[in-house]
Amino acid sequence: MASVFTSTVIPAPASEVWDRIRGFNDLPRWHPIVAHSRILDDKAADQVGCVRDFTLQNGDRILEQLVGLSDYDFTCTYTILESPMPLTGYVATLRLTPVTDGDRCFAEWTADFDCDEAEEEGLVTGIGNDVFQAGFDALKRHFGGA
Amino acid sequence: MIRVVNSTILEAPIDRVWEVLRDFNGHDRWHPAVADSVVEGGKVTDQVGCVRAFHLADGAFLREQLLTLSDIDTRFSYCLLDTPVPLLNYVAHVRLVPVTDGDRCFWEWSARFMTPPGQGAALAALVGDDIQKAGFDAIRKELS
Repeated sequence: MASVFTSTVIPAPASEVWDRIRGFNDLPRWHPIVAHSRILDDKAADQVGCVRDFTLQNGDRILEQLVGLSDYDFTCTYTILESPMPLTGYVATLRLTPVTDGDRCFAEWTADFDCDEAEEEGLVTGIGNDVFQAGFDALKRHFGGA
Repeated sequence: MIRVVNSTILEAPIDRVWEVLRDFNGHDRWHPAVADSVVEGGKVTDQVGCVRAFHLADGAFLREQLLTLSDIDTRFSYCLLDTPVPLLNYVAHVRLVPVTDGDRCFWEWSARFMTPPGQGAALAALVGDDIQKAGFDAIRKELS
């Protein structure tokens, strides 16, 4: 089992950041590596069980299923159904936690998956930097941080 | 049931902060409200179930028991056994999480308890300000 853990501090209240990221079909609006996205089968983007079919800027196509969504805990959990990455059993969670002594929040993005040992380092680094950290950097820019 | 949660970001590596916080009997060295503290019965301070008996700066005597301690998750929890202040069924959780894009960490301190009627707001302020936030400030000073 490989694990990725990425975390940051975003200079905006958790509820504002959550508004920007909670829509399961909204990746193209806030994440720079995603070109376009749609939800399959006419489901709503906050319907647990819905599937997003999205394409990265490099043309890679990925299908992911929403398996958990909590507005109370600012938490979104999803799995990969199809992707060009050599991994299986991928489960990721994006979570916001308020920082009470300032208008900022703590953001964590984690993933667990299985893969060949030879692929692990590249996958962990790639997902951690190009997906999770790149998303955090975009949110920090959007909300006026460094 | 009242729940009081405070959280902050410390500009210090998580290992350094955890080294200070994980010592269940070390709070008299850094928390301004605590005058002296001992662990009862010759137990060590990272033994789950140990009890710390301590005096506050105002002379009040309290006992708290360590319920859980995890070095892997950098968290611990404890409950109040004896207190002159009517914080009933008081259970508190402390957790640290690394901020990976900087040498910082997130610290959350929460407490759940009940109070006699009419005392909830005052006791919530006491816990939030005099215990949790005062603790954040003290650790920040301790590590600077």
